[in-house]
Amino acid sequence: MIETVNLTKIYNRGKKHQVEAVTDANITAESGAITIFVGPSGCGKTTLMSMIGQLLTPTRGEVLIDKENLTSYSDGSKAVFRRKNIGFVFQHINLLPNLNALENVLTPLLCHDVDPEKYKDNAVSLLSQLGLSDRAYFKVEQLSGGQQQRVAVARALVTEPKIIVADEPLTFVDDASAKTITDFFEQIKDEGKTVLISTHATNLAKLGDKTYVINCGNVVDSY
Amino acid sequence: MKRSKNLLKYSVNCVQRYKLRTLVILITLGIAAASFSSVAFLSDGLVKEGALSLKYAPDLTVQGISSGRQSLISTRYVSSIALVPGVRWVSQRIWGYGNIGDTLVVVVGIDLDNSITTNQTKVLLGNSVVDQAPAFPLESGQFLDVQSRNSIVIGKGVAELLGADVGTVLSVLTESNVIRQYNVIGIFNSESSIYSADMILMNLESAREFFSVPEDKVTDLMVYLDSEDDSTTVSLSNVIARQISETPNCRILTKDVLLRAQEKTYSERSGFFSIVWYVILIAVAIVAFNQTVVVGHESKFEVGLLKALGFSTSDIIQVRVYESLMLGGLAGAVGILSGVVFDSILGAPILRDYMLGWANLYPGFPTPVFISLQTVLFTFAVTVLPLLFATIIPSWLNATVDPDIAMRGARA
Repeated sequence: MIETVNLTKIYNRGKKHQVEAVTDANITAESGAITIFVGPSGCGKTTLMSMIGQLLTPTRGEVLIDKENLTSYSDGSKAVFRRKNIGFVFQHINLLPNLNALENVLTPLLCHDVDPEKYKDNAVSLLSQLGLSDRAYFKVEQLSGGQQQRVAVARALVTEPKIIVADEPLTFVDDASAKTITDFFEQIKDEGKTVLISTHATNLAKLGDKTYVINCGNVVDSY
Repeated sequence: MKRSKNLLKYSVNCVQRYKLRTLVILITLGIAAASFSSVAFLSDGLVKEGALSLKYAPDLTVQGISSGRQSLISTRYVSSIALVPGVRWVSQRIWGYGNIGDTLVVVVGIDLDNSITTNQTKVLLGNSVVDQAPAFPLESGQFLDVQSRNSIVIGKGVAELLGADVGTVLSVLTESNVIRQYNVIGIFNSESSIYSADMILMNLESAREFFSVPEDKVTDLMVYLDSEDDSTTVSLSNVIARQISETPNCRILTKDVLLRAQEKTYSERSGFFSIVWYVILIAVAIVAFNQTVVVGHESKFEVGLLKALGFSTSDIIQVRVYESLMLGGLAGAVGILSGVVFDSILGAPILRDYMLGWANLYPGFPTPVFISLQTVLFTFAVTVLPLLFATIIPSWLNATVDPDIAMRGARA
């Protein structure tokens, strides 16, 4: 289970253009469930997701995962925690250029003490499940936006993390890819993974076991 | 272990991916390493060659001096110097330059008499032929003796250049534009290329005729000491030098001073190139730093992304260390190889003339190149370390910020 306690992020603190992106967010995401964050652009969804995923240090407040307070972790411990437990899907896709789809999927394994070659079949299987079996050896530049985002989803899952953090995963994808990704999230939820998704897309929002509505950095509603 | 291998593999991929940065660093650092190593190899070669040329040199060289310039020295000093305690042998030498066709050669007349006459008493001072022979080991023919009039022994380089062999008669133009003919009776091949390349030997009396030197004068006196031990020789030579210097109108050069003068000359000349090299190296560091910090938005984004995917700061640093070692090592290797090719195969054009001195005309003198492990390691160190410094610090700065900030900052 993921919990946040008064989670707050202030950018440019003490400076002229100080921005309070998230204010005292208290949320709970159950294990093996999909938790959705909805809200207008710039409301603080990405900041909140980044803090939960340990990509961003909160100004104050706590993030607890399975009762473990991660806020006090060192930079190195956070990296190890991310490596073992969290898979990310980014709004801007963020694949490494000049690598092919399969190499991108295998990238998170490079910092593990394993031979990535042994995970190749698993990676290919993930790509197949996402409808990219014939694109595994295509360079990133040769893939459409929707295909790239599906590669990014496969990359998030290759280390078999228990938590998936997906920030606006459908922003740059076509309808067909959106459906594939949505179905896939449902499938991995059924496999017991905890999924956090921030989105505008109504079809994704419908997946949520729980939904939080964010506005101007505040959690204003949940259902 | 597997993780390190993975990170190494990823580093190789980075080197291939950031083509422009790789190319810029390889070219600039390669040029820097090539210029440094070619100068260092040549400088080391010249110093080594100089040391070899002095290996059989006398412990002291006594020259005449007149109005502050070197002049012929009177032979009457021989007996007085020979009687200084510690002096084993004093040998007279007449030398200068001559021309064989268009080739400038050094003509050296050596003293083959093993005795001096002092106070009407003939004193044996040693076996001069035996003493001088090691400096000029014969490859063919025979060595000179006191009676060898109009006979010469020539260096192997001279023989090859002129196509001469034992039995060949060579016409040598004197400084007074008189042509004299000499029979080649032997060819020597010295450890020192300088000797073999441009030297012809004749006995003292032949040289006296060749240079029109008066009977009681020679170019310089070579003084050999009794001491066998190098450190004792240096201290003894200083003591004896002081005694000889009391003799009017002469100056004393110790072997040690000659060696240091040679080293100083070549290191000063190579020093000029070192300054140029340092400028290039600083430019490389700036380019690397610029590539990583200013141009390296892509790299900054990558650092943020890798951290998001679970890489730790130390993993990122490890990747950059591998990259720098690869780039610096490759550039160093290419540079050193280029330096070797430039010096050994191309003969170090321009650089060789500068290092040897523009005024020196060495006929067919092979470029002395000495590739020492020390210079090779130093070249690698100075190509890799600045790159490590210029790459790791910005990467470390990127890696210590939150991954989200790094990715957003790079995208902004």
